[in-house]
Amino acid sequence: MVFPTDENVIVGLDRADDAGVYRISDDLALIQTVDFFTPIVDDPYWFGQIAAANALSDVYAMGGVPKTAMNLVAFPIKEMDITILRRIIQGGVDKLSEAGVVLVGGHSIEDRELKYGLSVTGFVHPQRVLVKKNLREGDRLILTKPLGTGIVNTAVKAGMASAELTARVTNLMAALNRTAAEVMASFDVHACTDVTGFGLLGHLSEMVCGSGLGVRVFAGRVPMIPEALEYASMGLIPAGAYKNRDFREAMVAFAEPVERAHRDVLFDPQTSGGLLISSQGGQATELLEALKQNGVRDAVEIGEVIAGPEEKIWVI
Amino acid sequence: MKEIDARGLACPAPVLHTKATLQEEKPAAVKVVVDNAASQQNVQRFLESQGFQTTLQREGGDYFVMGRCGEVAGEQPKPIEPAAVEHKKILVLCATDRLGTGDDALGLKLMVNFLRTLKEMGPELWRLVFVNNGVKLTVGGSDVLDDLKAYERSGLKIMVCGTCLTHFNLLENKQVGETTNMLDIVTAMQVADKVISI
Repeated sequence: MVFPTDENVIVGLDRADDAGVYRISDDLALIQTVDFFTPIVDDPYWFGQIAAANALSDVYAMGGVPKTAMNLVAFPIKEMDITILRRIIQGGVDKLSEAGVVLVGGHSIEDRELKYGLSVTGFVHPQRVLVKKNLREGDRLILTKPLGTGIVNTAVKAGMASAELTARVTNLMAALNRTAAEVMASFDVHACTDVTGFGLLGHLSEMVCGSGLGVRVFAGRVPMIPEALEYASMGLIPAGAYKNRDFREAMVAFAEPVERAHRDVLFDPQTSGGLLISSQGGQATELLEALKQNGVRDAVEIGEVIAGPEEKIWVI
Repeated sequence: MKEIDARGLACPAPVLHTKATLQEEKPAAVKVVVDNAASQQNVQRFLESQGFQTTLQREGGDYFVMGRCGEVAGEQPKPIEPAAVEHKKILVLCATDRLGTGDDALGLKLMVNFLRTLKEMGPELWRLVFVNNGVKLTVGGSDVLDDLKAYERSGLKIMVCGTCLTHFNLLENKQVGETTNMLDIVTAMQVADKVISI
């Protein structure tokens, strides 16, 4: 399929990045993104917050500042209590307020299955757009949130997660990538994406594809929700994790000591995951320090970009 | 060898079924059949975490996991839960969505209250079976849907009559429990220590 484009499209469909970017003037570009899904937690208010944090994340991952948002709602109005929808939207609005974003509209339809999400618009300087495909040799990779939300949500579904863990993971998914993005803005960053449905290694594969470079990931350093490892070894793994693995297996090589549970978590699909940032050596160290000082405590340097072998991810 | 059929179930249900069977029957060898590769690998991981040695097999759309316990020298299977106590098995059969006859609105309210209070039976509550008008409690819009889902999450098996769902044209709307047939219901009644019929 051929999609029409024009000279002001900075990031369009051909680039398949986290969001579209369109130049308005020499010092202003528009970022647009949309994301919606079916409930991933039982509590409607938290579902609203997570959906909003997730939709906003794509703007942060492009190096931008989100400004306005519109609701997308599909709701089984005949079967479900309208107060549930109100709680969801309240959650979304509260999360937008936390991000300094205003809700300016939306659209709802009747549907058999509940869905909620948002379209988010933001701004960025055309020279400061952060795409995912711009790794440079010698870059360090930083991840800002721990992995394992998909596996823990499966354990929640199975009735095996404690209330404390459920709350902890809900908070993690609802946490904005705003601070991480704001801190990142004052550093020399080469590439960035947010970790969502493809899992860490899936998204990293996208960054590596076409780069002519390789990546080394230190499995032991990657931040993970501790319980996720335990649940992974019990087989409480969402089907998406296996799909992610099957799709990218050819690009990834694991060193033998990397345990199966670790491998599983590295492919675990994330909801509203952290930012994955690629930055030059010295800058990366300072960036990591600044992230931690500003409250992004989970941020960890997880790997590095190496000359080769080309387009391979080595997990050691 | 104990055979477990977990086809037609999405993750994490096949693992939960296998776990329940291991807890109830403590078989030395199991053969689990599922209908997709992801479930197969999940069941394999679960069995291995319980000290089983596993082999995988595939025949068309059926994916098998064979597990054999305790063949690893010096390695004891981990207990799944400390001191599993043998509980009495109570089966509750709901053939209506109203409790008692007379006022329908009151009957519905009582039924909701009844199903919510059932949890006071504790671990002796073993099966919840819905037939005839009772199946309407398991579809979208039911006042007890969340309660039934919570029961299911806690491990209670909920059986819903397929013939009845089909009769009311609700097969697609069922949101909790397993669609089942009369033979399964009758077998469950036979195994149960007590059957309460509503």
